[in-house]
Amino acid sequence: MIEVRGVSQVFQTKNGPFQALKDVSIDIPKGDFVAIIGRSGAGKSTFLRTLNGLLIPSQGTISVEGLEVTRLSKRELQRYRRSVGFIFQQFNLVTRLSVLDNVLHGRLGYLPTWRGLLGLYTERDYQIARAQLEQVDLTAKESARVDSLSGGQMQRVAIARAMAQEPRLMLADEPAANLDPVLSEEVMRILKRFNEQLGMTVVINIHALDLALKYAKRIIAFRRGELVFDGTAAELTDELVDEIYERKEMAA
Amino acid sequence: MSAALVYALLGAAIAVLLSVAKGSMRRLIYGGIFGVAVAFVAFPFVQSVGYLTRETVSPTLLGLLPRFPLLALVPLALAAGLVLARRGGASAALGGVLAGGVTLFSGLFLIAQPAGLARLIPVNGLMELLAGLVPLLVLALAGRSRPRLRWPLIGAGLILSALLFGWLNAGSGGHLYLPKMAGYYRLLGGVEPGLEQRIVEEYNAGLEERNAILREIGQPEEKPVQGLADFKGRIPQETAEQGYRLLQPGQIQYGAFAVFLLAGLMLGAGLMLLRRPRLAEVGDLRAGLILAGLVGVLLPAFDATEFELQKLVKGWPFLTGFMDRAWPPNLAAPDAANPIFPLQSVLSEMALTIEIALVGTFLAAIFAIPSSFLAARNLTQGSAFMRALFGFMRTFYNVDRGVDTLILALVFVAAVGLGPFAGVLAMAIHSIADLGKLYSEAIENVDRGPIEALESTGTSGVNVLRWAILPQVLPLFVSYTLYRFEINFRVSVVLGLVGAGGIGYFIKGAMDAGNYDQMIIGVIAIVIVVNLIDFASSWLRSRLV
Repeated sequence: MIEVRGVSQVFQTKNGPFQALKDVSIDIPKGDFVAIIGRSGAGKSTFLRTLNGLLIPSQGTISVEGLEVTRLSKRELQRYRRSVGFIFQQFNLVTRLSVLDNVLHGRLGYLPTWRGLLGLYTERDYQIARAQLEQVDLTAKESARVDSLSGGQMQRVAIARAMAQEPRLMLADEPAANLDPVLSEEVMRILKRFNEQLGMTVVINIHALDLALKYAKRIIAFRRGELVFDGTAAELTDELVDEIYERKEMAA
Repeated sequence: MSAALVYALLGAAIAVLLSVAKGSMRRLIYGGIFGVAVAFVAFPFVQSVGYLTRETVSPTLLGLLPRFPLLALVPLALAAGLVLARRGGASAALGGVLAGGVTLFSGLFLIAQPAGLARLIPVNGLMELLAGLVPLLVLALAGRSRPRLRWPLIGAGLILSALLFGWLNAGSGGHLYLPKMAGYYRLLGGVEPGLEQRIVEEYNAGLEERNAILREIGQPEEKPVQGLADFKGRIPQETAEQGYRLLQPGQIQYGAFAVFLLAGLMLGAGLMLLRRPRLAEVGDLRAGLILAGLVGVLLPAFDATEFELQKLVKGWPFLTGFMDRAWPPNLAAPDAANPIFPLQSVLSEMALTIEIALVGTFLAAIFAIPSSFLAARNLTQGSAFMRALFGFMRTFYNVDRGVDTLILALVFVAAVGLGPFAGVLAMAIHSIADLGKLYSEAIENVDRGPIEALESTGTSGVNVLRWAILPQVLPLFVSYTLYRFEINFRVSVVLGLVGAGGIGYFIKGAMDAGNYDQMIIGVIAIVIVVNLIDFASSWLRSRLV
């Protein structure tokens, strides 16, 4: 489904250029559940953002179901993005609006601009949004303002928003890092369920190694912008983990 | 003389009080040294008069140096005091006593001198040089934070400074427009012996001729003079035109106040520091510079505003008379032959004032909301065209903010005539900039997260604005608009005074007609309404954010 070929990403910072990704190539088939691990700054978030075109790589190509993401025009990119869900660590909800409004934002990409401006969603949009709220068990909170919700509820709203896009691909950037262990498990279970029931491809950045090992079918690891591991949870030995997290000195 | 001693004692008393509060004494010594240094070169110390009032010259201590070379002791003592103060402890105390004492006695010596003639020595080019150095100073300061641009900036500053200096000195250039700069800084020098005798003789010699004219036009005749004192505080016209002035060391100016106060301060601080040498801190030099800067700015400002409490004392009976006539308020006089209803006028005029503020604020908000999006840096980085729009909007705001509502109102009164419409236009146009700037800052500070989230759902740019940014900034917009309405109500009161109508107009009319008992109703109404609006608006704003 996803073919990444020789992708590099260089950022211009105050201290000169910073290479966030170095010549990354990988294939992700349809229906896969991939967890990306690595230290902070290893390039995980950058990689995820290049997958849905929030960032355009400096070099290399990414194609998703034959569509070359790196070559799309602005309008085409918007059409592509509506089929890709994205879940953020900080939830990134519009906290002054209601839960339903936020979930409906997932449908904005399918509306003509003028209808979007007026908030004229179709009956089908409402059906989808309400169905997704039911999936994450928040039907009762439909008209509550988001800033009155707890962290776990907010992340579920964000998941419902992404699912309302009816995505083929779901990207998640540390979706559980701001939640307690119980809520983290819940978020992972929801994603796993979508993956198994709908066959939706999931790519997820995650700090918590135990969660990655427990839920992901496949694990890839980044170290300083380079892809250093690609395999199943069983293949990931303790030595490899130490290497990925650069823990040599600490162990000694 | 006695005034000078009072000033010095006041300074010393301040030092003693601060030492009781364990304040740093060395700080005061530094402040005194730098303050006296500023006063020495820049503050007028005493007065010297010519024949006409405008020929009066108030020389600085530096200006008096050629006439009284002894004054050179002051800068020497200041320098010595500075060196000693930097060594700290007992040395600093001695430095304070030395600098304060020498300054005090030099000043007292000067103002004890008898009145006498002095010769004006204009220092041509000095003010031109100072003015010319301004571009260099500004550009050098700008270059401090940009190491790569430092030397080009200083070079440009040098060229600009030289050009400005040349223009100010050119025969047909700057002096045509800034005539006061030429020889603005004046020194007073000594005069040749026998000058006074010569002036008296010349005056007496010409007396017969002038008296002949005076007799013809029926004026009292002049008498022969014995000495300068007979001229009664001025000198003959010819003498003044030859560049002489009558120096009156007893007529002290605000520079003397500064010098004696600071001398007393240094002396007092030095003595207190001798007793308790630990009253010194690390940042004293900096604090002293700030103290001197304050003195250097505030004293000339008080002098320029003709601050004089005696005038208030003299005017006091008017104030009490005013209150007598204003109280009790004349709410209505229906029985009189010509019935009047001031309370009713106040209520309807107050309504108009509020309505002007409402319309003006509303119109401003209508125009500020769309324009503020163009003035937000984070939304206008897309293309060169958007960046140009951003620059244009910001420039418009900055210019508009500088032109006050009252000035705009005067222009619009000329254009559309007296009345509320001119006031509303002026208020709306000025408030656009203020609101727009606040709005655009709110937009620049929005949470980036929802923007990124909506972009990742494939939402188009306008809809990101509508659904990710607008919900975040709208409460702030409302809050700022309410705040602006509070201000605009008070502006609207003043607008009435220039003819826009409303309560200000009522007050001005009542004041001009001497109906103080009607005017007071308007004043009370304003106090009440201002407080009501502020209270209501802050309550609403606290609920919004």
